Formats: sequence, structure tokens, C-alpha cells
Amino acid sequence: MEEKIPPSEMIVHLGPQHPMMPGPFRLNARLKGESIVDSEIDMGWIHKGIEKILENKTYLQGITIVDRICYLAAITNEEAYVGCVEKLAGIEVPERAQYIRVITEELSRIQSHLLGMGEYASFLGFVSMFMFTIRDREDVMTLIDSITGARVTHNFLRFGGVKDDLPEGFAQDAKYVFENLRKDIDSYEELYSTDDIYRGRTVGIGVLTPEIAKDLGVSGPPLRATGVDFDIRKDEPYLVYEDIDFNVCTQKEGDVYARIQVRLDEMRESMYIIEQCLDQIPSGPLFPEGTPYGKRSPVMRVPAGEVFHRVEDPRGEMGFYMVSDGSERPYRVKIRGPVYPTLQALPPLLKGVSVADIVSIAGSMDTCTSEVDR
Amino acid sequence: MDARSIIASLTDRFPEDIYDADVESDIRTVAKVKPENVVDVCRYLKDELSFGHLCCEFGIDYPDRNEIEVVYTIGSYEHPVVLNMKAVLPRDDPQIRSVVPVYWNANWYERETYELFGVEYIDHPNLKQLVLPEDMLGEWPLRKDYKGYPNKTAKNLV
Amino acid sequence: MDEVEEREKVEPKIFDKIGYDDIPGVVMTDTSAVSDFLKKTKVQNVLNWGRKNSLWFMVNAMGCCGVELLATGMAHYDTDRFGIIPRNSPRHADVLIISGYVTKKYLPALKRIWDQMPAPKWVICFGDCAISGGPFYESYSTHQNIDEVFPVDVFVPGCPPRCEALIQAFVELQKKIEAKKDKGTDY
Repeated sequence: MEEKIPPSEMIVHLGPQHPMMPGPFRLNARLKGESIVDSEIDMGWIHKGIEKILENKTYLQGITIVDRICYLAAITNEEAYVGCVEKLAGIEVPERAQYIRVITEELSRIQSHLLGMGEYASFLGFVSMFMFTIRDREDVMTLIDSITGARVTHNFLRFGGVKDDLPEGFAQDAKYVFENLRKDIDSYEELYSTDDIYRGRTVGIGVLTPEIAKDLGVSGPPLRATGVDFDIRKDEPYLVYEDIDFNVCTQKEGDVYARIQVRLDEMRESMYIIEQCLDQIPSGPLFPEGTPYGKRSPVMRVPAGEVFHRVEDPRGEMGFYMVSDGSERPYRVKIRGPVYPTLQALPPLLKGVSVADIVSIAGSMDTCTSEVDR
Repeated sequence: MDARSIIASLTDRFPEDIYDADVESDIRTVAKVKPENVVDVCRYLKDELSFGHLCCEFGIDYPDRNEIEVVYTIGSYEHPVVLNMKAVLPRDDPQIRSVVPVYWNANWYERETYELFGVEYIDHPNLKQLVLPEDMLGEWPLRKDYKGYPNKTAKNLV
Repeated sequence: MDEVEEREKVEPKIFDKIGYDDIPGVVMTDTSAVSDFLKKTKVQNVLNWGRKNSLWFMVNAMGCCGVELLATGMAHYDTDRFGIIPRNSPRHADVLIISGYVTKKYLPALKRIWDQMPAPKWVICFGDCAISGGPFYESYSTHQNIDEVFPVDVFVPGCPPRCEALIQAFVELQKKIEAKKDKGTDY
């Protein structure tokens, strides 16, 4: 926006350091009075060049790097990456390992939604909600920690399996945590639906219609809040999601309130999925038998080929496009993050709204800048 | 609508422009497209074959063949088939028409491909750098022959 | 008005008559000389005691470690009990926590944030990326060795470090301030 602007308008920069997002990002908004005429997003403040780094790492080293694409959904990033290599090399994952993967992925979805939801409430000045959700999130983080041994970047999945088995007594721990979490989610829903100030700032704000959302390429909770039941877990099932009973949570309104409601419902579904997994999980090995793959798999060469594998991230569709030339390093890896199109869709959404609603709308997308920049 | 009928429909409609079309599995198809008519093909895909969801668009550098491939990964909200459509460009002067008029969210993908690979998009509404600082434009860091990587860029190599 | 002018005329005469230099034990001075003088006395110990117990840090989540930064300031770890409070504006903050990869594009903005913080101020490098580049040591876009740019007091290794490690870092910083070894104040 370098052109001259009329004297009745002005430009306001939000960012790069702004409490609105976990990560630097800049929004240049052109205002006329209180309403936004036009806005532009400036990205790349934490561009790390992960795609270039992955080309220079062996496949096993790559798992460590893909963890750090989006730190709130590290396990789903790993799943997309590991799934690519497994498809290329034709590795079958044993059933027990698949169930453990599903459990960790759904736990990761719960903690991501808890953080995103609470943080969003704090943008609107509702900081107590952030305190509540972080308290619950720590319980979920302890569960993840007990399986993977790390809180944020897990480095847990391996080609053909998972690093470790479930710890002893995990089912009891999970039952205890979920019992509390269910009650708390109910109370959050009650708080959200009865608070007049919160409702006033969310209901009917930032409305996306299904057609526009599809056109903008949005996926995940913002799309499902418009009523489109697009979920990779149902549409293109991976792991054992075919054997598990769950609903795709949708809302009709497409506004900010509906997005938060979808996240609340998804957390309940995730807990339901984990409970089913813990009931159904068979005993067995963690890695395919008779293969060299294991916790410390050797330097492996993957057959030449190209593959696109996508999974359902807490924020939407996460995909990896991998090109292998038969050597021990990938030739090219493209990371398709879910937030990339979602953040791109902000300027059209913000057109015409008032300044106070910028934070309300942008925060409800639950964006992760690190994943956009990569 | 399954993968075979999609590929058949596409090759029937554009016999000149689509080549090397193949069905990899029930949900994955590949095709190559002539760079001149990529916008028409994309419009047909979106309007007639309900490929309404551009998953991503990116470049792959092949210095041995002196080519840069631009890959369009296009999915759909109605059916599970994903099409990986490639356009092969010469490495010295990569130019292709922008698909922003068809797929709105291609905007940032094309800007990123431009700054990392140097692919120039004709008729792009706002072709400038997205993630790199301004003075790094022109280095095309994701090309395979990016100079001095990683010894130039890493300070703490031991 | 006339009275005021008269007093202004009169007062210098009185001061000239008495003269600051003449009062035993009183030194004519300006503010920086006062603070220089105080740094050598026990008063500075009291000031440092106050400073070390109200280290407000800036929430500037930049990467994976930023998530742990958010979690540390909130209910479970509750750093408020040490007087460590998360603030969103650089103008309220005493401590800048560099919690992630500093890219070539972001470094000028981070310097500006640092300039906006009122002195005395301290820096904590949180995580491997801020210390040496971490897993992105070979990236074409990141700036390694951030201690060449900022006067870093405490380094916290880990990728990412746990929340307890950040609290430990604050405790170490408090020790440094108490011992007058910190880089934020010039003694």
C-alpha cells in the first residue's frame, strides 16, 4: 500500500509484535473513521526455510524438523511426513502403533483447541478464560508428556511405527483427566453462551458463507462452522479412523461464535475417539516384523516417486508433497499448511468491519504464524 | 465421479494440452499440462469436474533437465480424488500465466513460488515477495544450485 | 504577576547569600551524578532488591518456545508469585525473552522493540534457536548468534526448554541483579 491515501483515511499497522497471535505477523489496515477500507498482510517474520533444510537431511532426521513447523500440532505434522515416506516405501504400520498414533494426535488436537480457545478469549479481554483453559491444558499436556516424553516437540513417530508404547496405567489417567475435562468444557460452553459481552462481540461477526469459504480455500474449523462437513479423517481416511465412530462437528452460522463452538464440540469428539481407541487397542508389536525399521532405523533409501499425503490437523488440512529420487534424502518436500489459506482469507473478511473487530475475527481463525512462514 | 472418468473427461476436452495423464490409485491422479493453457484447464476443472479446492501450488527444480516444474495439487469438496497437475517450464526463463482468476487462494502460493524459485507469473495481481526480506529477492534460495548453501548461511558449523 | 516577578528577583539573591557550597554535607549535583553516586552506596542494593522482585516480561512468542512462554505466565506455573508478570507492551516490560528463531527480516523489528523498553532492561535467550540457531543452524533466513546483537544475561538451552527452566532462568537473573553482575544496569 504505497499509493497516496486521501486525507480522510489513515493506515494503522498491527504488528509485527502484537499480542493477537502466537508469533509475529503484520496487518496493515487502511481506515476510514472506524471502519476498514482495505487491509494487507505482511508475512515471513519467522520464515526459517524448512523446505530447504529438509532437502539436506536424511529421512529420519527430517522428523525432528517437521515437529517445528507448527508447534501446536507437532504430532499431526509428523503423521503427514511419516505417512508420505510410508506410502513411498510401502511400509505397513502394525495396528497397535496406528492406535497409539491416533491417541496422540487426538490429544494434540485437544490441547491445541484449549490453547486457541483460551487465547482467543483473552484477546477479547476475557483473561480468566485463558487461565481456566491453560489449567486444563496442563493436564492434557501431562498425558502427552507421559506417552511421548516431550511437551511441545515430540519426535515420536517413526517409519512403520511409534517410538514408545503407552505407559502403564495410561487408561486410568486418561479416564480421570477426561472426566474433569468434560465438566470443564460444559462450563466453558455455559460461560460462552451466557456472557452478553462475549456474545455481543462474536455473534454475527466475521460471517463466512459456505460458497465464499470454499472459494477462499479455507479448511478446518472455520470451514466446518459454515456447515461444510469437510474432514480428511472422513473423506480420505488414514490410520484406523475408518474403524472408529465419530461425528464431523459442524455449525450453520459461519460466524466467530460458531467457530469456537465447533472447537468445543471437536474436543468432546476427540475424547470419545480416544476412549474408543483405548477400548479397542490390540496388543502386538510397535514395528512391522521382519523389517529393519525400528526405533533407531538405519539410513534408509526410499524408492523414487512422488506422493501427496494429507491429514486432518487441528486447524484444517495438512498435506505433504514429497519427491524422492531414490537417495537417502528427499529431493523436494512441499508443506501445505492449513493456516496459509485461512490467513490469506483475512483481508476480504475484514473489509468494512470496525477496528475493534479485527482482533475478534483474526483471533477466531486460530492461526499459527510459524506454519504459514515455515 | 471416480478417478478414471475424470482423467478421461480431461483428456477428451483438452487433447492438445494434457499429456502423460495417469491414474495412480482411486484417489490420486497425475497429468501434465502445457503452460500456455493452464488457466483454461483450471477453469474447466473447477466448473465441470468440481475440483474446487486448490490444496497447494509450488515449484520443483530440476537442474539436470534444465526444467522447473510448477505443480498444482487440486482437490475437491465433493469427491476424494486429488489431481497433481504439472506444468514444465524452461529453467532460464520460467514464465506461466497466473491462475488467481480461477483459484483465489493461489495468490500467496504464486508469490512464494516467485520469490523462492523465480517463476514469473503473468497477470498476477500483486507479484512481490511474501516471506523473504526485500534484499534477498533474486537469490531464489530453493533452487538446487543456491550458492554456498549451507556453508555460507551457517555460522556455527563445526 | 508582579509579586512573582519580584520573588524571582529576590530569591537568587537569598541563594547567593547562603550558597549551596557553604552548607556542610550538601553537594550541588545533577541527576546522573546522583545515580552514579548512589550506585556506590547501599541505596543501590535496595533499588536492586525492588527491581529483581518485579521482573515483568514481554509476551513475544516467536516460535515453539513461545508456547511454553505463554503457558509459564498462566495459571498452572503462576509466575506472578515471584513478581514475574506477562505484559503485552514493550513499554511496560523489563525483560525481553527471545523465544525463537530471529530471522533477517525480523531482527530490525526486534531491535526496535528493544529500544522501546525503558531501562533498566534485561534479555533472556530462551531455547536453542535464539542461542545458536538450534535445528535451523543452516537456514538461509535466520540470524544465528543473537548474543552478538543483544546484551544477553541468561541463556536457557533446550528445544524447547520446559516451563520450569524459564522460571529457573528468572531466578538466575534475580541472583545476577542482586550481585550487581547483570548487563542491564551499568555499575
